[in-house]
Amino acid sequence: MAPAAWVCLLLPLASAIVIAIAGTSISRRTAAYVSTLTTMGAFVAAVVAFLALLGQSPEQRSHVTTSWTWLSAGGYHFGLTLLVDQLSIVMMLIVAGVGSLIVAYSVGYMDGENEERRYFAYISLFVFSMLLLVEGGNLLLLLAGWGMVGLSSYLLIGFHQDRPSAVAAAKKAFVMNAFGDATMALALFLLIQHTGRLDYAGVFASSPTGGAVANLIALGLLGGALAKSAQLPLHTWLPDAMEGPTPVSALIHAATMVTAGVYLIVRCHPLFEKAWAVQDLAAGLGAATLLMAGLIALVQTDIKRVIAYSTMSQIGYMFVGAGLGAYPNAMFHLMTHAFFKALLFLAAGLAIHAVAGEQDIRKLAGIGKLMPQTKIVFLIGSLALVGIFPFAGFFSKDSILAAALDHGWYGDVIFAAGLAGAFLTGLYAFRLFFIVFTGEPSAFAREHHHAQHGKEGPLSMRWTVGALALLSCVGGLLQFAPIWHPLSTWLNPVDQSLIEPSSWQEWLTSAGAIAVGLAGIGVAWAIYGAKRMQAPHALRLFEHKFYWDELYDLVWYRTSDAVARGFYALVERPLIAGSLSAVTGAVGLGSRELSLAQNGLVRSYALALASGLAILAVVFLAVR
Amino acid sequence: MANFIVWVVWVVAAFACLASALAVVSFSNPFYSALSLIGNLASLAVLFLLLAGEFVAAGQVLVYGGAVMVMFLFVIAYLGDRTDESPWSGGPSWQVVGAVLAGGAILAEVCVVVGLKAGGFLSKPAHIGRSFGSPESIGRLFLTDHLVAFEVTSIVLLVAAVGGVVLGSHARQIEGDART
Amino acid sequence: MHGPDIQWYVILAALLFTTGALGVMLRRNPLIILLSVEIMLNSANLLLIAFARLHGREDGQIFAISVMAVAASEVVVGLGLIVAMGRRHVELDVDKLRTLRG
Repeated sequence: MAPAAWVCLLLPLASAIVIAIAGTSISRRTAAYVSTLTTMGAFVAAVVAFLALLGQSPEQRSHVTTSWTWLSAGGYHFGLTLLVDQLSIVMMLIVAGVGSLIVAYSVGYMDGENEERRYFAYISLFVFSMLLLVEGGNLLLLLAGWGMVGLSSYLLIGFHQDRPSAVAAAKKAFVMNAFGDATMALALFLLIQHTGRLDYAGVFASSPTGGAVANLIALGLLGGALAKSAQLPLHTWLPDAMEGPTPVSALIHAATMVTAGVYLIVRCHPLFEKAWAVQDLAAGLGAATLLMAGLIALVQTDIKRVIAYSTMSQIGYMFVGAGLGAYPNAMFHLMTHAFFKALLFLAAGLAIHAVAGEQDIRKLAGIGKLMPQTKIVFLIGSLALVGIFPFAGFFSKDSILAAALDHGWYGDVIFAAGLAGAFLTGLYAFRLFFIVFTGEPSAFAREHHHAQHGKEGPLSMRWTVGALALLSCVGGLLQFAPIWHPLSTWLNPVDQSLIEPSSWQEWLTSAGAIAVGLAGIGVAWAIYGAKRMQAPHALRLFEHKFYWDELYDLVWYRTSDAVARGFYALVERPLIAGSLSAVTGAVGLGSRELSLAQNGLVRSYALALASGLAILAVVFLAVR
Repeated sequence: MANFIVWVVWVVAAFACLASALAVVSFSNPFYSALSLIGNLASLAVLFLLLAGEFVAAGQVLVYGGAVMVMFLFVIAYLGDRTDESPWSGGPSWQVVGAVLAGGAILAEVCVVVGLKAGGFLSKPAHIGRSFGSPESIGRLFLTDHLVAFEVTSIVLLVAAVGGVVLGSHARQIEGDART
Repeated sequence: MHGPDIQWYVILAALLFTTGALGVMLRRNPLIILLSVEIMLNSANLLLIAFARLHGREDGQIFAISVMAVAASEVVVGLGLIVAMGRRHVELDVDKLRTLRG
């Protein structure tokens, strides 16, 4: 059990180190296979740990193993501790499972890239960091993993380092994530101050309830979650992060890393329950994000950006679930989302790969005719995303909405937002599908589509996409709230749901969500499918993504720029630069004068020695 | 009586030593200076004997006064009479003043230390056996306690020998270059 | 111990040392500077042997012999330099060798 967890954690790290050290002495293919096999090995280890947990009674499924004291400061000792329990095993399975599929897909997708080895070293590092995040047995290790996924995300977004936009996007992601890291670190400081420890059980037991401190702790953690999961108001980095290679977008910016915020809330739910206002804030921000992201996704023209906004929107649903206390539902949606969003990205990657990297949907238009298999899997992914029965999203999204119905007027408002979001989801998802995959292929797509890898792409890319399509079809059957709910039961000892929606709420929600989803699909078909209309007069507000970038530019960049300019004019130039020239002048004069002493006369040097001796003798006499 | 004789010997040797040192420094002809240094070394050897340093005194006379000084005289003879090229002093005037001041300061400080700070410690020499400073005991020490110093000394001498050869051959090279 | 106490030796050594130092600092002929350095080394030797007598230990004499060896080496190198100067027909005046001037 514990060894399996360690193997699961350390295999990807070993892969990253081996690829980094081996450098050019191994072929690109070897690096790819090392990375793939180790990630799969991590998945196998996670499965072994899962089976071991299955064999135990529910109360005994939480295992803490400490290898050694990792950090001690004063009276605080933080071990290198792994926690394997029901929640972390679910995350381990998702991360390692979806991760190994996507890494295997990368073998084909990254083929021919200039620096494949670097890519695979980074992605192994990412898998390690993400596993550290979910397996870490105390909040300090969680924070370490949190920072390291931020780093590997930065490295992978900026993988095409010769592309200025990629570098800028990487910086943006890193800075916004660093903000979240900082608020999280502050929350940890507060926890240390008030409880003196950071292991989960101890913190949950002894952290203060209610009051400013509990709220501040929860707010700090929420800040980290918002930044990592690209929720309002720290969301602007995610669309730009699509500059990274498509498998990276699928793994990091859809399936695993961006859902870490949800994991954090679910993992630390006792801390949030002690500050209910903050938890409600999380749900509200999630609802606002899912609406706003859905609206923006309507007008985007870059295929990956559309999917990125839909990711934000779906994570908004998860935040709603986690914020309302429906933790198993949030985790369930996290899991199904990992399946169908990875599928969407990888299918989009197939299309992008086929036309040599073009991502504009107007140029990709009609490529479905050339790539029928891709069209089918993309359709599956889209249906799962919209939440049509019986695809994965149906089961998970609806259970979150149903939970919202059971939470008073606040829940009703969020329910309405979620329903509107479901309509938007149908609209933007099928706008994308109809434009890109139906109708006659555009001239560009015809010209660039090449069939050199077989029909749709190399084998490694096709079987992984197929596996994800299968998961998107059947993954949702794991739990159907009104009838059976093994996941909720499994997670119950760790995350008891605060909300138990009644059966009629479940049925009503399911019916309503499917109805609005279908309505969205219908509108999309009417506009883009049947008549192949160009985008209707797009609202400027949407096109500018609600002016968040402009707002941040104004508030942070412009003001700090103005302050910096002010300091340059008032302080730097007169005081610092002025004093510097004075100092250099003085030093220059002094050294010119001093160089006269170096007159080249050996006898004078001897005199200096003798004088020094005489003076030293006086000093010694005076001191002794 | 023995004490008186030793005193007389000491005074004579000390004056000879000082006078010859002053002579070394003040002769303008290096040949005379070198000859004076031989006197200085010899009188120092007498002082060493008074301090029970038989072996050192012998070494002083043989190695220093003999071999080293012969080398000096050879070089001086080789370079020929160049007294006209070596004025007694000169240079910046502050050099002379400073040198005298520094020398005087060092001397005064030593006198102060000896007179005020030693506290009679220097007047109580230890009792020593008859073999103190004999070649036998010095040799024994060299081959036991100070073996490393002994070996390192040999290396230092070797390096100096090599350095002398290199300097000489280098000079020959220059001469050769000048000729061609 | 017959004769003068150790402090007289110390003062004599100080006088010798000062004399040698003055020679180094005042004279311009490298040969005489080298001879003056020998005087300084010998004054140090005198001190070493005097203190060896004071403490009744022979280690000071060992030191003195080592100093002699070092002095011999130094004379070899110094004379080698002077011979080289002489061969190059450089004037024997240390004040003329000022290429290290700042």
